[in-house]
Amino acid sequence: MLSPSQFEKRMRFAGICLAVGLLIEALCLFWATPIAFIVFVAIGGLLIFIGLVVYLYSVVSAPAVGD
Amino acid sequence: MPPATILIVCLVLFSAAVIGILAARPGFTAGRGGKILAFVAMFCLPIFCGLLGFSSEMQRSKTTAFCLSCHTMEDYGKSLLVDDPTHLPASHYQNHRVPVDEACYSCHTQYAMFGGLKVKMYGLKHVFIYYFGTPPAPQDIKLYEPYNNRECLHCHQGARSFEEGVVHNADPATLPAIKSNQLSCLSSGCHDTAHDIAHLKGAKFWEKGN
Repeated sequence: MLSPSQFEKRMRFAGICLAVGLLIEALCLFWATPIAFIVFVAIGGLLIFIGLVVYLYSVVSAPAVGD
Repeated sequence: MPPATILIVCLVLFSAAVIGILAARPGFTAGRGGKILAFVAMFCLPIFCGLLGFSSEMQRSKTTAFCLSCHTMEDYGKSLLVDDPTHLPASHYQNHRVPVDEACYSCHTQYAMFGGLKVKMYGLKHVFIYYFGTPPAPQDIKLYEPYNNRECLHCHQGARSFEEGVVHNADPATLPAIKSNQLSCLSSGCHDTAHDIAHLKGAKFWEKGN
C-alpha cells in the first residue's frame, strides 16, 4: 500500500500533467493550423492521458481507511 | 474566434485552475468531499474538456483556411479562383456548389463509413511529410487513390441537372456506369480539369473572389 506522502506525490504529478495538458489544449484552440492540431492531439492528449492513468492508479493504490 | 470555442477555452482554463489547486494541495482530497471533487476535477473534467476540444479541432480542420494554411497548398487555393467554368474546383467554389468555408473537405472527404476518419489520417500524413519529410512540388501532388464518383454523387445524385443532363443520357449505359463508378466523372475526359496547377501562371482569375 502507498504511504500518504507517496499518494500525494502521485496526485501532484497527475495534477501537473493534467493542468499542463489542458493549458496546451487551450492554447492550441487559438490557432487554426495543422501544427496546432498535432500539438493538441499528440502533446496535450498524451499529457492528459498520462495524468488520468496516474490519478486512477494513485486512487486504487491509496491506503484503505483503517490500514 | 467562435463563441463556442471561447466557451471551451474558458472551461479548459477553469479545469486547469481547479486541478492546479488540487495538485498544489493534495491534502484537500483526504475527506469524502475532497475525493469527489478530485474525481470530478481530475477525471471527469479533463475527459469532457478533451472531447470538446477535439471536436472543435476536428471541425476546424475541415475549413478551407486550415487546408490552405500550408505553403504547399497555396496554388490549390489560387486554383479555386480561376475564371474558367471548365475548371471543376473553381466553378464549384465560385458558385457555392460546395460550402465556401469547407471547400476542400467537401470534395476530398470520403462519403463512406469511417471516410472522414480515413481522410483525417491522410491529413496527418501530409503534416508529417510537410514537417519531417520532403514535400513534393505542388504540381506533383497526387491523390492516394483514384477519385471515386461516390464523392460527386453525394450531392449530384438525384439532381435534375445530373439525372436529365443531355450528355449523361446520350447513351443509356452512361448514367448507370457513372453511378457504379465504372465511368469516372473526372478521368474519362468529361470533367477532367481539376486544379491544373501546372498551368496556373497563365490563367485568368476571378478578381471578386479575393
